[in-house]
Amino acid sequence: MKLAGLKSIENAHEDSVWAATWVPATEDRPALLLTGSLDETVKLWRADELDLVRTNTGHSLGVAAVAAHPSGIIAASSSLDSFVRVFDVDTNATIAVLEAPPSEVWGMQFEPKGTILAVAGGSSASVKLWDTASWRLVSTLSIPRPEAPKPSDKTSSKKFVLSVAWSPNGKRLACGSMDGTICVFDVERSKLLHQLEGHNMPVRSLVFSPVDPRILFSGSDDGHVNMHDAEGKTLLGSMSGHTSWVLSVDASPDGGAIATGSSDRTVRLWDLKMRAAIQTMSNHNDQVWSVAFRPPGGTGVRAGRLASVSDDKSVSLYDYS
Amino acid sequence: MNLTPAMASVYIPVQNSEEEVRVVLDQLPRDASDILDILKAEQAPLDLWLIIAREYFKQGKIEQFRQILEEGSSSDIDEYYADVKYERIAILNALGAYYSYLGKTETKHKEKEEYFILATQYYNKASRIDMHEPTTWVGKGQLLLAKGEIDNALQAFTIVLGNAPDNVPALLGQASVEFSRGRFSESLQLYKRALQVYPGCPAAVRLGIGVCRYKLGQLDKARQAFDRVLQLDPDNVEALVALGIMDLQANDSVGMRKGMERMQQAFEIYPYCAAALNYLANHFFFTGQHFLVEQLTETALAVSTHGPTKSHSFYNLARSYHSKGDYEKAGMYYMAAIKETNNNPQEFVFPYFGLGQVQLKLGELKGSVSNFERVLEVYPDNCETLKALGHLYTQLGKTDKALEYMRKATKLDPRDAQAFIGLGELLISSDTGAALDAFKMARTLMKKGGQEVPIEVLNDIGALHFEKEDFESALDNFQEALGDGIWMSFFDDKENLKQTGVSVLGYKDAGIFHRLIESGHSVDVPWNKVTTLFNLARLLEQLHKTETATFLYRLILFKYPGYIDAYLRLAASAKAQNNLPLAIELVNEALKVDDKNPNALSLLGELELKNDDWVKAKETFRAANDATDGKDSYAILSLGNWNYFAAMRNEKRNPKLEATHLEKAKELYTKVLTQHNSNLYAANGSGIILAEKGQFDIAKDLFTQVQEAASGSVFLQMPDVWVNLAHVYFAQGNFALAVKMYQNCLRKFFYNTDSQILLYLARTHYEAEHWQECKKTLLRAIHLTPSNYTFRFDLGAVMQKSSSSTLQKKKRTADEVRQTVTEAENAVRVFSQLSAASDLHVHGFDGKKIQTHVQYCTHLLEGAKVHREAAEREELQNRQRLEVARQAALAEEARRKAEEHRKHQLEKRKQEDELRRLKQEEEKIQRIKEQWKSNTHGSHKRKDRAEDEEGDGRPSERKRKKGGKRKRKDKSSRARHYEDDEEEVGTMDDHNEVEDGDANTNYNREEENQEAEEPVDDDAHDLLAAAGLEDPDADDDEVQVPASVARRRRALSSSDEEGKMMESQPNPSPQKENSPERQEESNVEEEEDADLDEEAN
Repeated sequence: MKLAGLKSIENAHEDSVWAATWVPATEDRPALLLTGSLDETVKLWRADELDLVRTNTGHSLGVAAVAAHPSGIIAASSSLDSFVRVFDVDTNATIAVLEAPPSEVWGMQFEPKGTILAVAGGSSASVKLWDTASWRLVSTLSIPRPEAPKPSDKTSSKKFVLSVAWSPNGKRLACGSMDGTICVFDVERSKLLHQLEGHNMPVRSLVFSPVDPRILFSGSDDGHVNMHDAEGKTLLGSMSGHTSWVLSVDASPDGGAIATGSSDRTVRLWDLKMRAAIQTMSNHNDQVWSVAFRPPGGTGVRAGRLASVSDDKSVSLYDYS
Repeated sequence: MNLTPAMASVYIPVQNSEEEVRVVLDQLPRDASDILDILKAEQAPLDLWLIIAREYFKQGKIEQFRQILEEGSSSDIDEYYADVKYERIAILNALGAYYSYLGKTETKHKEKEEYFILATQYYNKASRIDMHEPTTWVGKGQLLLAKGEIDNALQAFTIVLGNAPDNVPALLGQASVEFSRGRFSESLQLYKRALQVYPGCPAAVRLGIGVCRYKLGQLDKARQAFDRVLQLDPDNVEALVALGIMDLQANDSVGMRKGMERMQQAFEIYPYCAAALNYLANHFFFTGQHFLVEQLTETALAVSTHGPTKSHSFYNLARSYHSKGDYEKAGMYYMAAIKETNNNPQEFVFPYFGLGQVQLKLGELKGSVSNFERVLEVYPDNCETLKALGHLYTQLGKTDKALEYMRKATKLDPRDAQAFIGLGELLISSDTGAALDAFKMARTLMKKGGQEVPIEVLNDIGALHFEKEDFESALDNFQEALGDGIWMSFFDDKENLKQTGVSVLGYKDAGIFHRLIESGHSVDVPWNKVTTLFNLARLLEQLHKTETATFLYRLILFKYPGYIDAYLRLAASAKAQNNLPLAIELVNEALKVDDKNPNALSLLGELELKNDDWVKAKETFRAANDATDGKDSYAILSLGNWNYFAAMRNEKRNPKLEATHLEKAKELYTKVLTQHNSNLYAANGSGIILAEKGQFDIAKDLFTQVQEAASGSVFLQMPDVWVNLAHVYFAQGNFALAVKMYQNCLRKFFYNTDSQILLYLARTHYEAEHWQECKKTLLRAIHLTPSNYTFRFDLGAVMQKSSSSTLQKKKRTADEVRQTVTEAENAVRVFSQLSAASDLHVHGFDGKKIQTHVQYCTHLLEGAKVHREAAEREELQNRQRLEVARQAALAEEARRKAEEHRKHQLEKRKQEDELRRLKQEEEKIQRIKEQWKSNTHGSHKRKDRAEDEEGDGRPSERKRKKGGKRKRKDKSSRARHYEDDEEEVGTMDDHNEVEDGDANTNYNREEENQEAEEPVDDDAHDLLAAAGLEDPDADDDEVQVPASVARRRRALSSSDEEGKMMESQPNPSPQKENSPERQEESNVEEEEDADLDEEAN
């Protein structure tokens, strides 16, 4: 398996690009790349030329997360002002604006069947679940707070939920927090199953293996990518190589590899059999905030694609084979 | 009486008769008295006495010889034989010669003297009988020679030769004298003459010739002479030895064998020849038969008085003990050998070398140096000596001299790998590049020579590459040094140990190694590979292969549970991953091995500090300091930093306490600097203290120097100093440079991930009134550290400030105002969120305070909206006005065009008129001519220029003046902070707040100033006043509470960074292996290295 650079757009945004995801293909069009930036815009791009389809405005204070509905019809973007904007991908019509004060908004992901949008709630120490039909808050999954917070404990080690990930069957939801713990919930019963240990620094990105719903990958500021058994609560392995924070992790659709983006300005491809980085892409010259594999499907697009976005304002596209 | 011709006999005439008594010389009576009786009774001629005595001597019956001669020289004889001169003299001379010989061979000093005295007495007596007798003079000459009085001996022989130039004994004596004086060719001439005069002279004469020729370097002729001696006297030991020496010196195996045969032969003939003994001993030394060496040399010593020979013997003996490892004895004998050469290395230099070596072993470095130096006097280009001295001077701390010698050694023999290794070791601390070259040269030489390159050399090469950030080469060398072992499985892909699931967490679990053993792996780690293995693990850590590094550290600990550094690295690794409890546990494991290990204690203190356990941390740092007797810079630095943090941490500043802590910190930094004047961390610390006291220029110089010095080594990462420099630029108002420095630091050291430095950057932008940059910077900080609410508060404050400042402008565009409205809306949102969150206690801001901000911003927003409407109205009006103006302009243009057209027409018409007129005039003239009557028209005024070209003018764009006034005020307020603290330490409060980068405090203060001085509008007045009143208290008490503690610790000086530096745990760098001789010294070196490295991360 390997990555080959296809196209890079310098100055794709006017400022740092912080978020990226693929909007699945619909009957009318192929999959599109959705990016969000500090410049307060959200942009849609068409592969492989990375033609700009549209620029959405309306956010304040920088777009930190984007998520796409599995249908490919709607998507969500959120900014540091803690608003989530749900919109129609093709018309840019606003479908809903979500907020759950005082909860902030960080990572977001639609449930694989598309019925729920999960939003990492920052200092509310919870994940907010929004019904995608009524756009009402249907559930709040709270993570346990430390029993007696030390008075000396300042800001960073409090429970603060940063990232979320759905298991491919939609039964499990994992969330990562600032202190490095990962909580796994049984969504149907709204029950915390257990906490996964191994990181002691912020976990900014999580992804389940698309082929094995038990396996969860986590990227952390400690520079490691950990591989957990989300059911058995065990740490299966730890992969190091990045020289700074791991900001984003995504699993390839075939389940054989994962890609990571890091503050060390690189994108790495990891062979899960060897449990080692087999390729390092150094085309970005600042922190790589997000990497995303294109989901399979759509007409005539069998080729694997990986996108990465960075503080250097650029968006890059790679062929994955 | 029968005559038996075969037997030599003498006949003693019987007195007063014709008869004679026949004495058969072979059958002399055992008791000499018998024969003496006959000699005396028959008054036998004295020559008979002499003959018989000589015969006794020949037969070895020395006592009888002496008895007869003493009787023959008694006073009775003198009286009786008074007229017989020559025989009496001969007897006396014989005795003199006898005692001379005894004196010469006697080894005991006292007896020797006595014999010489007796000999002298006999010769003097002989001289009294006839002072011109040449034989007496010859005897005297020999005696003097034996006594070593060469000049007197020369005189004696000269006297004889003056009368009889061909006197053979005198010639031989003279030759002897000349030989002793080193005048070998003169000596040779004399020997030759003796041989010419008396061709049948004894073999010894030819021996003399041989030795002279040998000394003159005429080796073939010398050999001929010795061969001739042996022809004449096959048992001549000297000739055998001489030939043996010459054979041995031929230096080939045939010669050696022949030489040794001759030596053995000589030994068999005469076992007491010291030279032969020495050479035999020398031989057996090389064959390793030490017992024989000692036997032989001891005998040689017993029989020889000859200085050089004895020296040689002592040397042999010393060497024997030396090689057996008995250095004390060896040293003694080397010294004896040196003494025998009268301390003259030119004579025999080997014992100096040996003694030097032995003293080196015994640790008598200075003595060793002086002995090697003596060797150099003789052989200035001897590489072994140069190398030995190089090492010695290194140990004595005279690095320059050591380098000089080592360099010379490598130049003299560019193929001497050892010399290059020595040079490399010397250069490690001063010039790593040159050291690397030297080691590489050594490696190449050894590989060329088919030698195995020692693991130490490869390790050093690897470590040096490591330091130069050439990680690939470092890895290659470490791998080569380690050779085969379990570690190799990490580097080939066949076996995958990564699956074993190693982590620091399970450091106590040895099961993984047992499983490896069971599955057929060897987990051996030979002791000499531990250091390299450790270095390899360090390198892997650097390459962020944390799992492999962890595995190796655990392997080291599995095999060598006392390897503290491995524990400390594991602890550092746990700490890097923010697992403080585990890190502390690991350090405690290390402390179980050695509870006084300063590195472990320092790391523990650091961890405790990070855990906010101030008191404990201080105790631990103290313990670390005590454990090293206050000599460990790192421990002192830690204490210094502790004091600095302590000065800065207290929210309610106690100026007195603060000053005490600062003073203490300064003292400690200074102490480190006196110990190691190039300690960058101490220099940095001192710079911080200077900056705290407002001496920015000096601080800046110091920081700049540290920054320069810190560049270039992978182990020396000092982001702190960049931050500090930036702080100083900031404090001096040089915002552009400060911004650059912060940004460079972020990028160079932190991959732009440090939100704290982003905060400094934001503050700088704020001061420079670059609101948008400031806002963006804060947004980045929030994005990096979402849980830090200080950034959100500051973000709100910046937007509030920026919108209010826009509103205060006299002139602004509607766009600006619209943006201001958005900004104010965002500010309201940010503060509202903070306000809502304050109920959850996720941050420590005071709810009321935030509420005030919310209200103020809301108010601002309302105001802004009004302004926006006004501005939009104005904009509309402007637009309308513009439209009117445009219309007017258009109309004007049309009018102008019409006018032009009209004028044009007019002109045209005028011209036509003119023409017509001219025509008419002509006609008129004609007519006048005819009528004689004239008539003229008035002239036309002409306007060349259109008067109304410029029209009405476009609405002039008025340049908006920036809030210059406000800017000045801000500056002055900042200046005030600094001035204050320069004036007196007591008000440092202000100053520190500024330096704290405690953004919100200052934002508020300035906002307050500005608000108080420039109220926006009347409606806002009350609210502003409220905010203004509230702010000062809030600043000091509430606002900072949650956010600022961390920052305060950091303070201007980025004490936090310092924290970082200390955090960075004993991070022992690749240790350099050392040759055993350098061990001690190298330990010191290692420690220092470790210091730097620890601090480096």
